[in-house]
Amino acid sequence: MSKRYHSRLHGLDVGFVLLAGLICSLPAQAKEYLVAVTRPNQVHLIDAAARKVEHSYTIPGNGIPSAVAVPDDGKVAYICTNRWESISGIDLATGKEVFRANMSSGTERVKSVFAMNVSRDGKQLYVHQSPVQLSLDEYQVEDTRIAVYDTSAGLDAKPARTFPAPRRIALLLPGMKSDRLYALGWDLYAINTSSGAIEKTYPIRDWKRPNYSEPDILSVWLQYEQPNIFSTPYYAVRTDISPDDPSAYKTGLLTFDLAKGTFDMEDFEDTSVVIFSSVVSPTHPNEVYMVYTQLTKMDREQHKVIKRIDLDHTYYAINISRDGKEVYLGGALGNIAVYDTATLERIGNIELPDAANQSVAGVRVVQR
Amino acid sequence: MKHLKALNQKAELLERAAEEGKAEEVFLMASVAGCATTFDPGWEVDAFGGVAGLCQPMEADLYGCTDPCWWPAQTGDMLNTNVNWTDGKNAAQKDWRLLDAIYPED
Repeated sequence: MSKRYHSRLHGLDVGFVLLAGLICSLPAQAKEYLVAVTRPNQVHLIDAAARKVEHSYTIPGNGIPSAVAVPDDGKVAYICTNRWESISGIDLATGKEVFRANMSSGTERVKSVFAMNVSRDGKQLYVHQSPVQLSLDEYQVEDTRIAVYDTSAGLDAKPARTFPAPRRIALLLPGMKSDRLYALGWDLYAINTSSGAIEKTYPIRDWKRPNYSEPDILSVWLQYEQPNIFSTPYYAVRTDISPDDPSAYKTGLLTFDLAKGTFDMEDFEDTSVVIFSSVVSPTHPNEVYMVYTQLTKMDREQHKVIKRIDLDHTYYAINISRDGKEVYLGGALGNIAVYDTATLERIGNIELPDAANQSVAGVRVVQR
Repeated sequence: MKHLKALNQKAELLERAAEEGKAEEVFLMASVAGCATTFDPGWEVDAFGGVAGLCQPMEADLYGCTDPCWWPAQTGDMLNTNVNWTDGKNAAQKDWRLLDAIYPED
């Protein structure tokens, strides 16, 4: 065997070993699951394809669960509970509580209003906190802050660090790397997770768009994880059109690409229905699906509604499968409806145990 | 205020503020941040001045609004003072009849 031939064979061997190692490191047949929470304090792991609740676990302590965050590996769900005063991390394979941060202590009552999330690598938990000092004869509102926890801190977790943060933050979005966090409030703030510095502000309420009112958004649901694009509807009024003209009232879509850092707000229709939440297709990023008492399919390149159907009841939250073929409607009552994205036909329904309500919580989509 | 009658203490305070010419000092719906600052009227009208745009049915919205104190005057304060109000009644569509009125405690 010539030396040259031997060298090439050796290279192939190395390549094969690397490929085999890569395959072995991937989860065997990663399946898609939904993570949902219900009253009074339950978290559910749902096999999306089977339309079946695979596990239901009780979160220790008082309810009621609200925000849910799951890192990329889909192993632990971090849930805001205990009247918004605690974060509980539940191992989705065993139901065991593996992380607990009780934020209130002594005379300081600390609540988190939806704004909680975890870094994609699952190492850091971010919580926007609203603290109040409870004195004998008065309550003293303290400055809001973001607390950063190490998720390895166990069942009596204390913040690794805190830093000041604007008020009225409703959502936290983890950057693609753990050095960046995005906070959605009156504007969207890009925050350095080490220093707490606001490194960039994307204007929303401060958009200064000529002939428009300030935009209004109600965004407390997380559904960015499949496309890595966050989206939410907004509402605004044209000030150069008579208020008794229906065309003065505009509905638009705010999108923020977490990978590219691109931010966009574009009208797509005269306001005709209420919409609470939206999700961008991971496979056809021009397609957006939105929900409330109707399910809407919108083309964000053409800025127009493609199709809209009435639903059996109101759903607050929407999410989408990784292949972009079906959307999951949740929140509010005790079921998750499944719709085909091509036809907007109902193709499934998942009844949650005891029909317990999801209340204000949304649905997360994970691969495990 | 000639045609409206205050039914609770907060409404009386608002009525008094109007009579004293201090209505401008009363700020409602400053932000949506729980019981302290929200004063939505409850089963309200929708963005179009009607009711068709509200959640359907009302039960779909009952706990979604009650749990975050969106309706602090009309339903129990689930975050601080009436945290047991819905105990054992977790499916609004069948349990709403079981929700009792709340009376002030001494």
